[in-house]
Amino acid sequence: MSETPDGKSIRDRLRAPADTGAANSGGDSRGSDVTDASFQQTDSRAELASHGRDERQHSAPSAPVAHAIQEPRKADLSEAEARSAERKVAALFVLSFLGVIGFVVTFFVAPFKFTERDNIYFTPLLALFMTLALAGIGAGAVLWAKTLMVDEEAVQERHGFASEIEERDATGQALVQGFEQTGLARRSLLRNTLLLGAGSLALLPLPLLLDLGPYAHKEDRFRTTAWKKGVRLVRRNGTPIRIGDLALGSLETAYPDVPGGVQMADTPTMLIRMRPEELKPRKGREDWSVDGHIAYSVICTHLGCPVKLYEQQTHHLFCPCHQSTFDASNGAKVLFGPAARNLPQLPIYVDDEGYFVAKSDYTEPVGPSFWERKS
Amino acid sequence: MTVLGKGAAGTGKWVDDRLGSSNFIRRSLNKVFPDHWSFMLGEIALYSFIILLLTGTYLTLFFDASMHEVVYNGSYIPLKGVTMSQAYASTLNISFDVRGGLLMRQIHHWAALLFLASITVHLMRVFFTGAFRKPRELNWVIGTLLLITGILEGFAGYSLPDDLLSGTGLRIAASITESIPVIGTWASILLFGGEFPGTSIVGRLYAIHILLIPGLILALITFHLMMIWYQKHTDFPGPRRTEHNVVGSRMYPVYAAKAGGFFFLVFAVLALLGGLAQINPIWLYGPYDPSQVSAGSQPDWYMGFLDGSTRLMPNWEIHAFSHTIPINVILPTVVLPGILFNLLGAWPWIEARLTKDHDYHNLLDRPRDKPRRTAIGAMGISFYVMLLIAGGNDIIASIFSISVQTITHTLRVAIFVVPPLVYWATKRFCLGLQRADDELVHHGIESGTIRRLPSGEFVEETVGLPVPYQITLTGVEPSERPALHAGEPPEGPGYGDKQVVEVHGNGGPVVHEVRRPRGFFRDKTISRKEPLRPEATMPPLEGTGKPRAK
Repeated sequence: MSETPDGKSIRDRLRAPADTGAANSGGDSRGSDVTDASFQQTDSRAELASHGRDERQHSAPSAPVAHAIQEPRKADLSEAEARSAERKVAALFVLSFLGVIGFVVTFFVAPFKFTERDNIYFTPLLALFMTLALAGIGAGAVLWAKTLMVDEEAVQERHGFASEIEERDATGQALVQGFEQTGLARRSLLRNTLLLGAGSLALLPLPLLLDLGPYAHKEDRFRTTAWKKGVRLVRRNGTPIRIGDLALGSLETAYPDVPGGVQMADTPTMLIRMRPEELKPRKGREDWSVDGHIAYSVICTHLGCPVKLYEQQTHHLFCPCHQSTFDASNGAKVLFGPAARNLPQLPIYVDDEGYFVAKSDYTEPVGPSFWERKS
Repeated sequence: MTVLGKGAAGTGKWVDDRLGSSNFIRRSLNKVFPDHWSFMLGEIALYSFIILLLTGTYLTLFFDASMHEVVYNGSYIPLKGVTMSQAYASTLNISFDVRGGLLMRQIHHWAALLFLASITVHLMRVFFTGAFRKPRELNWVIGTLLLITGILEGFAGYSLPDDLLSGTGLRIAASITESIPVIGTWASILLFGGEFPGTSIVGRLYAIHILLIPGLILALITFHLMMIWYQKHTDFPGPRRTEHNVVGSRMYPVYAAKAGGFFFLVFAVLALLGGLAQINPIWLYGPYDPSQVSAGSQPDWYMGFLDGSTRLMPNWEIHAFSHTIPINVILPTVVLPGILFNLLGAWPWIEARLTKDHDYHNLLDRPRDKPRRTAIGAMGISFYVMLLIAGGNDIIASIFSISVQTITHTLRVAIFVVPPLVYWATKRFCLGLQRADDELVHHGIESGTIRRLPSGEFVEETVGLPVPYQITLTGVEPSERPALHAGEPPEGPGYGDKQVVEVHGNGGPVVHEVRRPRGFFRDKTISRKEPLRPEATMPPLEGTGKPRAK
């Protein structure tokens, strides 16, 4: 039964508007008949009218003035409709209960292990029942509020925010007076030592934070990698790469043959093989490649993503993160995208046993730019 | 009195004896909330956050934020025997060996996306309706902070599983940190505990993700809601609604039932998404490896605009005095978001300065009534959307078979050309909509009847718009619209001046404040305050006109 604030059911009032006459002159107006005049009248519910702290500025009571329904809903007009609405809400609540049962049963009964048959249905089924359980309660509550609870249009006066001028002045004075009473204005020794002591407190956490990372020799970390003269180029599984292993036009990711070499973020190198005549080595780097085999850093000079998409025909290297494109046949020169520098080249040669070996470390810092980088 | 009633009264007495809370509780129960679908956008954000807390707490019970290396031996066969971090292994464990773990993980991720999406749309609603104006500027700033902290929280969260995609994201974050002049390398080394990737970052991000930022967000949300509560919600103009009241339903019982029900509905949608729509399938990406990457790597949507700005940026870099300043990195990833978020947070003050409007505003604007603000908002959205498109240029290139270079080159131009065009077009749209409203208010609805006057002239008969709808459109009662001659251009006193005018309907002259917008908002057509044209002879339609939520 939907109740209006005055305790009578809406249906009663709609059936016999005369009954509500004088006592509810404001509360009963509805539909398009609601006029300004009836709107202004206060509600009969004296118990609602509170004079809380809310109204400092407005003299009107801050308690809302509730108006009865505007246009009666079906459930307001007939008991049968109301019962029908109640049944719908109840059905949704029951659906929620069934969802919980389904969830629990699925949880304990349905196969979920990756190795089990039909395991792919476990999560969707669980989710469907969970959805039922949640949506039943949710939709039920909303439908209940919309069809059966009081259909009111309540009006509440706002209160002002700004304080009276006197109030503000008094507060300001209290602040000033308090400050005067501390003596900070007069006692400069006190004030200055306080500033010194409290101000230096801010320095306390700094040494603690500095130990977050090993800051000694920090620049070397950015400038050097584990590559050095004589270090073999190995695959991810540790096997060294021999000349002739790579088919023409292919690319192999190479790591330095040092402990932990596969996990370092600055050492990954790509070894590319193309026809020797396609290779246009830069000045002074003529002997950095071997028979069409050339090695570049995988790490993009833009933001450090691995540049590994190699286009055989054009020799373009493409970074999937921000689309910087480099020309592998021409010193990994930047062709397109936000990267500003060529990919660093690793000088390589082939040792006596036919394995690829680094001639030295990279001759410039690998990866993205940083403040201390010189060129 | 029923047993329930007695119990409630007893409890109430006990509490009131100690806290004197009756007055507060009764006022709270009676608090009126206005009703409009767009007011529920912020609610979605709030509910998403609650769902994030619930599912997130569950995930902490199983997640192990360690970069310690282990050999995977769980039930996901394709990765059996692979060396990976404990973080990645425990995420696989949640996905494959914890019953319902995958569902919770996916709900958590979807809720994060929805959290930021609803914040963004809520922000647009607040912007376009002018809800940020005095006295609500502080809440606008808190909302901006919530957006920023939400983005950081999301990034920290999806970086935790230590999979190939999130590792690539962290690599980019490390590089951006390094690019900052003077302090960059220090900051990066301190953040990662050494050279990237190190062994500390997941543990540190975990502390940030489950304690530091959620605590901050919770505090900000609390302030946000307290301020809404104290200042009361804004409302659209309409029948009976003034600057000095709130019209709607009281918190108890109707609003509470609707809002509570809505929470469960939001949760239900997220549960459905979490179970049926795969998100972040980390087992397909594999563990992080600095030398590997997959084509088409995409961040979560809210990071997309930064990815886009980075992709669009030309490769400018400054080398001078033995130092490097990578403009190509700093400008799109540090400077641009800095400018955007500062502009966003400062908007209430920027607009107040432009309009010289320092009044209280509790009634919202219809976006069409403030063409310039709306146009600026649309311009901002178009800028943002173009960055988003740029962030997905590789995906777009492969779907539509366009070269990625073409898209990038086009967008580099478009990002400067399109926003001004959008500004111009939106302003025209707003003015056109205003005129359409004008037509409705003054001319009425076309009745389809043509009447022949004794003079032989044919006039079309129109029906007056329902009064409540007129109020919604004009913001004032029809009787309060000043009696200007139809068609005559509004002359006379300027913005904010008081003027004595004759008023239709209720007799004597009243002092009417003429709001004739000047400056920033001068495009509002004042003729909407004119009376109905003479030919609209028929009485307004019955009914409330504006359909009420049922």
